[in-house]
Amino acid sequence: MERIELLKSINNVFIDVLDNEDIQLTEKTSANDVEDWDSLNHIQLIVAIEKKFKIRFKSDEIRSWQNVGEMMDSIETKL
Amino acid sequence: MIFSAGDSFHESFIVTEDVYNGFIRVFGDKNPLHTDAQFAIDKGFEGKVMHGNILSGFLSYFVGECLPSKDVIIHAQEIKFPNPVYMNDRLEFEAVIGEISEAVEVAIIKFKFRNTLGKIVGKGEIQIGML
Repeated sequence: MERIELLKSINNVFIDVLDNEDIQLTEKTSANDVEDWDSLNHIQLIVAIEKKFKIRFKSDEIRSWQNVGEMMDSIETKL
Repeated sequence: MIFSAGDSFHESFIVTEDVYNGFIRVFGDKNPLHTDAQFAIDKGFEGKVMHGNILSGFLSYFVGECLPSKDVIIHAQEIKFPNPVYMNDRLEFEAVIGEISEAVEVAIIKFKFRNTLGKIVGKGEIQIGML
């Protein structure tokens, strides 16, 4: 999957989970940039992304992410 | 994670008059479908239909009291009510652990309630997290 397609897919997951059609992620987007990306919604996002891409993350992997781009790096290693 | 995918749990519940009255007392839903037998019969049911969300109460009990750990929280749940429940129905409840997200310590539990005729009266899934 092309990087831009991956970003678009993740963006759609965010729109669905956070119920916000206005979300436009970039690779530099972090939790501080997105309204409602709080700790509980973070869990929902992880669960939804794992389901969407049929992958599993590890907890230390998740904790290391600083932004969406680093999340994408993890996803790409599993596809 | 205290569960493995495929783990199953079984409980029995009865919608007693006490449960029914308690639900109405606490939440105030006195819709005639639930309180007027003739109204319910006229609508095609066998009698007063118990509130579907009484089953949600049983789900809360299951998660809070029947799982092997008390360190749990319900994140989300979906429930459908394909068939009615009547007073004093005995319900057999089965829950099966589905997907587990170890990274965020989340499990999806799929569940069904069946009445004594074997009909499914409630089904859905709950997402729980570990505290």
